[in-house]
Amino acid sequence: MSRDFEQDESWFQRAVFYEVLVRGFYDANEDGTGDIRGLIEKLDYLEWLGVDCIWLLPFYQSPLRDGGYDISDFFTVLPEYGDLADVIELVDEAHKRKIRVIADLVMNHTSDAHPWFLESRQSKDNPKADWYVWGDDDQRWSEARIIFVDTEKSNWAWDQARQQYYWHRFFSHQPDLNYENAEVQEAMLGVVRFWLDIGLDGFRLDAVPYLYERDGTNGENLPESHEYLRRVRKEVDALYPGRVLLAEANQWPSDVVDYFGDGDECHMCFHFPLMPRMFMALRREQRYPITEILAQTPQIPPGTQWGIFLRNHDELTLEMVTDEERDYMYSEYAKDPLMKVNIGIRRRLGPLLENNRRSAELFHALLFSLPGSPILYYGDEIGMGDNIFLGDRDGVRTPMQWTSDRNAGFSKADFARLYLPPLMDPVYGYQAVNVESEMRDQSSFLYWVQRMLQVRKQHPVFGVGTLEVLTAENPSVLAYVREHEGDIVLCVNNLSRFPQPVELALDKYAGLTPIELLGRIPFPKIGELPYLLTLGEHGFYWFQLVES
Amino acid sequence: MIDPAALAQSLQHYLPNQRWFGAKDRKVREVVIEELEVLEKDWPVLLSVECEVVIEDNTSERYHVLVGLRPPGQPATFLEGKPDAVMGEFDLELGHAYGYDALRDPELSLRLLDIAVPQNPPPSRVRPVGAEQTNTSLIFDDKVILKVFRKLSEGPNLDLEVTRALSSVGFPHIAELKGEWTRKGTDLGILQRFLAGGAEGWALAITSLRDFFGTGGDPAQAGGDFGAEAERLGEMTASLHSYLSSAFGTTGGDADAWADVMHAQLQRIHHPDLPSEKIGKVFDELRTVEDPGPSLRVHGDYHLGQVMRTDMGWFVLDFEGEPARPIEERRWPSSPLKDVAGMLRSFQYASRSALMVQEISDSELAKSWEQRNRQAFLDGYVAVAYRNGILPSDTGSMDLVLRAYELDKAVYEVGYEMAHRPDWVDIPLDAVTELLGGN
Repeated sequence: MSRDFEQDESWFQRAVFYEVLVRGFYDANEDGTGDIRGLIEKLDYLEWLGVDCIWLLPFYQSPLRDGGYDISDFFTVLPEYGDLADVIELVDEAHKRKIRVIADLVMNHTSDAHPWFLESRQSKDNPKADWYVWGDDDQRWSEARIIFVDTEKSNWAWDQARQQYYWHRFFSHQPDLNYENAEVQEAMLGVVRFWLDIGLDGFRLDAVPYLYERDGTNGENLPESHEYLRRVRKEVDALYPGRVLLAEANQWPSDVVDYFGDGDECHMCFHFPLMPRMFMALRREQRYPITEILAQTPQIPPGTQWGIFLRNHDELTLEMVTDEERDYMYSEYAKDPLMKVNIGIRRRLGPLLENNRRSAELFHALLFSLPGSPILYYGDEIGMGDNIFLGDRDGVRTPMQWTSDRNAGFSKADFARLYLPPLMDPVYGYQAVNVESEMRDQSSFLYWVQRMLQVRKQHPVFGVGTLEVLTAENPSVLAYVREHEGDIVLCVNNLSRFPQPVELALDKYAGLTPIELLGRIPFPKIGELPYLLTLGEHGFYWFQLVES
Repeated sequence: MIDPAALAQSLQHYLPNQRWFGAKDRKVREVVIEELEVLEKDWPVLLSVECEVVIEDNTSERYHVLVGLRPPGQPATFLEGKPDAVMGEFDLELGHAYGYDALRDPELSLRLLDIAVPQNPPPSRVRPVGAEQTNTSLIFDDKVILKVFRKLSEGPNLDLEVTRALSSVGFPHIAELKGEWTRKGTDLGILQRFLAGGAEGWALAITSLRDFFGTGGDPAQAGGDFGAEAERLGEMTASLHSYLSSAFGTTGGDADAWADVMHAQLQRIHHPDLPSEKIGKVFDELRTVEDPGPSLRVHGDYHLGQVMRTDMGWFVLDFEGEPARPIEERRWPSSPLKDVAGMLRSFQYASRSALMVQEISDSELAKSWEQRNRQAFLDGYVAVAYRNGILPSDTGSMDLVLRAYELDKAVYEVGYEMAHRPDWVDIPLDAVTELLGGN
């Protein structure tokens, strides 16, 4: 392990993240469910792909009523996945390949099967009586919206044993922890320390806006919640420099930036509205859905970074688009009511883009060049599909497709034992789409993604550069310049399904020569006159502007 | 410095070749230099010249010319391929020189900004705006845009006058006023914030049409649907009218006066397929409207090419009014529905011109797109205008006023197309038929 790798504390600003569902990645012990040893076996693949950091979905002990986000023991690994020794080995093996590992951590709530809750509900005066949020009035804090509108009627649930209501912002089997209680604050810091001691490189903090509740508020983004996150950060900075906190706050960017604090809260936050806007821009064939949200995105403190993504394990998030836009997204992408879940759409990238290679490439080119660290979702690099007939959000959590062999090469278990069936349809099924065949084919999408990541790695400007959106008369073209310490990259994207010309005012860069970054092809030198480019349908260019 | 007679002589040949010169179809009899200001006396020399151009029919127009002068031998790559920008050779006290349009010269353009409306810090780059009809605009550092007025008028320049007034009442949908260039009471230019990243409404509409023609069906379901944009544009337009009435005041509408202006234009325009009598009846019907809504200062030449989509929503550009009308007439208050009619006509123009460009014969496609966006624009406009009290009191009256203004605009377009693009005359003629009830 090189010292540079260890000592680089700003790594996350330039990193490419890869979100892994352990359950669905690779099954090493042949029991039908993916496990941590399976993931270790596939680290070489992720290294080849160019991934810098793996993000693991929750791997803790859990009754699995919410994909593991209902944790019943923070210190134990879910037995189907392995044990603590496996996690330690995973971290070591990943670090050998200069890959970091972060994991989901749910701070807001636990499972109702967690011993803390079991104790808390016993009585109103037991030692953990105050560890959860109890009340006699189920009308309190009625300003707080209900997040899972499809399944929950109220944020309060009645507990027969204690004869009181408990507060839950998510499912009723996920009671919220009471952060007013100093012991809870300490206990959760203990969880953080435990996993960082083992070697994890940080956490993706789930549902951070909801830690506290206050009368007369909607219970989101309260100052107390921020204060607690700053306390966590302080602990990390003091004991574990170089580890990151990535906040999941599904809010408008102007509210999300608060989670960066003054650079003393979370290192990273997800940029949620960008992704639906990208889909909209593609449909509208014009750049304004994207440039509008970029213009509304505030500056973030030095030493922080956005996390951006095309898809993830949750639904395409529409909470933060306006009603009109939400209706529009529904009508465009979710003609089938089965595809709607909560306020989102459960589809993978491939089917969302109607299996169009060119638009998939365009989307990844945008993902890899817009400000932020890109987060890939497992399987999207080979163009995997989804199965909308599976319940809840399982449709996008089917097994990774490694080969065209039995069970997609994911597991040697009997088919019937698999946690979910792999995709078998003629378009997206594992016979057609799998890692093995794409690695044999230099022109595959997988190779293309790998090549793009190589190029991105050579230019830190994609991670830390400034962004300037250029003026183009043609509204179907989105062009911007990223700049960092003399490295200037010009990105030009055609959002239309028809070829487009564009004239760009590049007089600022007169005298420089654009070098196309994938093929290192020099283009004509930039002069005083507008620079003319033509782009194929959904085409894009990445140019480095260099002195000739 | 320079011999005015020699300069006048050169301008007589130079002016008719400029895009912004209005009397191209007639002969220039004489050019009289009225004002000559030396803005830069050392090389390269910069002059600002106001001149009166006397036309063969004894009318005259005033123009503003910026002259750059450099000694022969100084290379001027910015003039390559632009012979029309060169005025000729002159003898100055500094020596022999060739003269040219100084706004083609980046060095002098930067110098001009520094003299006319100095900025701190001074910009370092300049580029011209592409195709322009009546003015010449320069963009500095992608931050500010200087519009140099070419044709000069008595009294304040309309664009500057309205922009100034809207700024003073805080209208948020115009590019912020950054400076004015005025000499001895004559407005010579306006400096505004440059709307970086913006695209013309026309370009956006064409993008939407291109997508829609590619798929067909219900325009509201098309990927490139423009409806939401049109609706926001309608809202912004209603807000513009509210701010215009705060800035310039309102009076009760005078339907008779409006009808008189419409009739006057109708009598000037003749085309065998233009049913003037039927149109006149609609104008007369307008006279009978009891409450036609207020009368106020309007944009006057409102269409998709005069609005710009930016990251901050829709912005309005260019308040000069219809160039073909006399300046004073452009100041006349009218129903705000005149602007609404202008935009509605623009939707038809966009859809029809897209049909022509794409060589598609299915005019129903164009019509369904127009209907969709027309309705969306009106929905947005009425929602805001109703709250702000700038509409006629009942919808029947509103329909009458709007229809009259749409017909008035279409009549104007018939005249315009006959003179400039005879192939296009069917577009306004079809609209007239439609507005008269399809017969």
